Amino acid sequence: MVIVQRKALSLAERLYLPEIFRGLSITFSKFFEKPITRQYPEEPLPTDEVTRGQPRLVVKDDGAIACVSCGMCEVACPAYAITIDGGETDRPIEREPVRFEIDMLRCILCGFCEEACPKDAIFMSNELELADTTRRGLIYDLEKLKRPKAALQPRIDYVYRINKRWRSKQP
Amino acid sequence: MSQPTPPSAATNPSPAPAPKPATVKIQVDGREVEADPKQPLIRACHDNGVDVPMYCYHPGLTPVGSCRICQVEVAGAPGQPSRVVAACRTPVSPGMVVQTDTPKAHETRRECLEFLLKNHPLDCPICDKAGECDLQDYSFNEGQGKGRSSEPRRKLEKRKSLGDVIVLDEERCILCSRCVRFFQDVTHKPQLTVSGLGSRSTIATFGDKPLTGNYQGNLADICPVGALTLKPFRFQARVWNLSKSLSTCAECSRGCSITVEALRGKEVKRFRPRYNPQVNQYWMCDTGRFAYAPVTEQLAPAGSALGGRLAGAAVRGYNGLELAEVESALSEVADILAAHPNPLVLISPFATQQEGEAVRELCAALGVRARFVSPAPSALKDDLLNTGDPCPNRRGLSELGFEPIEAAAAHTELAQAHAALLVGERIQELLDVAELAKLPASLRLIVFDVRAHDLAALDVAVGVPTHVEKSGQWLNVDGHVGVLNVAVPPPAGVGPLERTLRELRAALAPSAATH
Repeated sequence: MVIVQRKALSLAERLYLPEIFRGLSITFSKFFEKPITRQYPEEPLPTDEVTRGQPRLVVKDDGAIACVSCGMCEVACPAYAITIDGGETDRPIEREPVRFEIDMLRCILCGFCEEACPKDAIFMSNELELADTTRRGLIYDLEKLKRPKAALQPRIDYVYRINKRWRSKQP
Repeated sequence: MSQPTPPSAATNPSPAPAPKPATVKIQVDGREVEADPKQPLIRACHDNGVDVPMYCYHPGLTPVGSCRICQVEVAGAPGQPSRVVAACRTPVSPGMVVQTDTPKAHETRRECLEFLLKNHPLDCPICDKAGECDLQDYSFNEGQGKGRSSEPRRKLEKRKSLGDVIVLDEERCILCSRCVRFFQDVTHKPQLTVSGLGSRSTIATFGDKPLTGNYQGNLADICPVGALTLKPFRFQARVWNLSKSLSTCAECSRGCSITVEALRGKEVKRFRPRYNPQVNQYWMCDTGRFAYAPVTEQLAPAGSALGGRLAGAAVRGYNGLELAEVESALSEVADILAAHPNPLVLISPFATQQEGEAVRELCAALGVRARFVSPAPSALKDDLLNTGDPCPNRRGLSELGFEPIEAAAAHTELAQAHAALLVGERIQELLDVAELAKLPASLRLIVFDVRAHDLAALDVAVGVPTHVEKSGQWLNVDGHVGVLNVAVPPPAGVGPLERTLRELRAALAPSAATH
C-alpha cells in the first residue's frame, strides 16, 4: 500500500480565477499563431516520388500496356492482393493481361510488386485515397489501374535511382 | 462386398518379373552403386538420386549427346588424368569412378550453359515454360548473372505454327533435337528435322507441312525450353499457379496415367502424361490431352436445370424440370421405383469400381441386373497407346460382373421399359442425346449424370461429379489400376455418386421391404 501525500493548494490556486485566466491566456495566444492543422481533404497532403501510394500499371507511349502478365508481382505480393490471367496479342510482345485485379482492401502498399516487376509495368503511384460503398468496387481492374507512363515518370526515375544495382538503364 | 474389389491375381496377371539385368558396380560421388551396363551413365546417376542436368537426353528417347550439359568427371586409369564426359553417351563400365560435383565438372557445364544462353531470348516473363523450364532452373542454380557477349541475339521467327497443336518459337530453341527424335523413336513417323547449318539451324517440318498425328502434344512436354508450346494452353496460366493431382485419362481403355492441372485449384487447364512404365511410359495421345472441355463445363444458369452442369438435382414438376434438393429427388426416385419394379439399369463405362459396387448393391435391392453401355469403338485406335475403346473402365466393370450392352440394343430396351435408371458420367452422350429425346414421356427415366438434357421422358436428374472431381479406381485394358483423385471440387450440391446411390438404397428400403 502506498500513501499518496497530496500537495496543499496555495491561496492563488484556491481562489480559482487566476488559474482560469492563466489558462485562457494560453488559449488566446494560439489564435495569433500559424495553424499546424491541415484541412484535409480540402487541402491534400503534398506527395513526391518517395510516396508509396497505391500500385498502378504503366501504359506505354504507344498505347500498349507494359504488363506481360508474367505473374511475378502476384507471387511477390505478401497480401495475395493481385490476380492475373494472361492472354495472347498480335503485338511483338505476345502476351498481355486480360484480367489484372488488385484488391485494394488487401493491398498493404509494401511496394514488392514494383520491385518484382521485370517489365517496368507496375509502380507505386502517389494516389492515396480509397473509398467506395462496396467491397467489389475496391477490387481494381485493368481500367482502374492503367495510368499513362508520363504520370508515373517521377516514381520510375526514383526507382531506377535507388535500385541502381539491378535496374541498369531505362529502356 | 462393400469394399472395392482389388484387382484379383487371377484376372490381373502382373507381368512376369523381368530377369534382373546383370549389373556392375560403379562409384558415383563416392558411393558404390549398382548400374545396368546397357544403360547410359546418366541413368545410373538418376536412378541413385544423383542429379545430373540434361536437355537433349530424355529417358524415353535415344541419347545423342548434343547439348553437353550432362558432363561429369570420370577418373582415368591409374596415372592418367580424369576426363570430363557426357553422361548420356557414356556407357557404364565396371569400376567406373564418377564425380558429378567437382569444380571441373561444374566449370565445363557452366561453359556449355553460357553457349546455350548466348542466343536464348530472355523472355521468361512471357514464356509459358517459365517455372518448369530446365534451362531456367539450371541457369538459376549454376549460371552467371550476366552474359559476357555484346553481340545482338539471333532474330528468328517467334510464332511459327506447326499444325493445330504446336507453336514453335525458333529463338528459344536450343536445338536439343528431342522433338526430332520423338517422331523417330516413339511414333516411328519422322516429321521434324534440324534444318539449316550452324547458327542458322532451326527446327522445321519436312516441306514446311504442318505436323500430323495424334501424339503432337508430347512435343511440348519433352521440349526442355519453351520453344514448343501447346496452342490451347498458350498463355493460359503460369505453371506455379496450377495445382497438380494424379489421375487417369478417361478417353480410352488404356487409362494413361496423367496429372490434372487446375488453375488456382479451380479450373482445369491441362492434362499431362505421368511416367508409368506399365501403361503409357512418358506419353499420351492428343485426344486424351485435350479432353478437358467436358470437365470444365459451366454450371447451368442459376435457377435452371438445363444448359450446363447440374448442381444438385432436378425433378419434373408442372412447369418442366425444376431444381430440387438431392434428398427429395431421391425420395421421388424411390417412389417411381416402388411403382415400377424391374427397372432397366444402365451404367456408364466411366463408373469407377467404387461406383460399380454401389450400383451392384442397389441392383441387388431392386432385384435387377445392371449392364454398362459399350459404345462402338472409335476410329482413333493406333498401335501406340490409344485402344480405340472409349470405355475407360471396361475391364473393371466386367470384373464386377456387369455385362456390356451396345447403344443400339440399349435404345430398343429403353423403348420397351416402363422405368429406367441411367447412372454415371456422360451416359446420355454415350447413348446419344438425340436418341434419348425420342423416348416417350410415358417412360419414367431417372438420370444420374453431370448435366440434365431436355428429354421428354426425363423425370428425375441427379448431378454427379466428373472424373476429375471424384476419387476412385479404374482398371485399364491390361488390368492395371488407374487412380482418380479429386483435382477440383465438384459444384455445391454434388456429392460422390456412390454415396448418392447408397442414400437412394436407404430411401428405397421401406418400399423394397414390401416386395
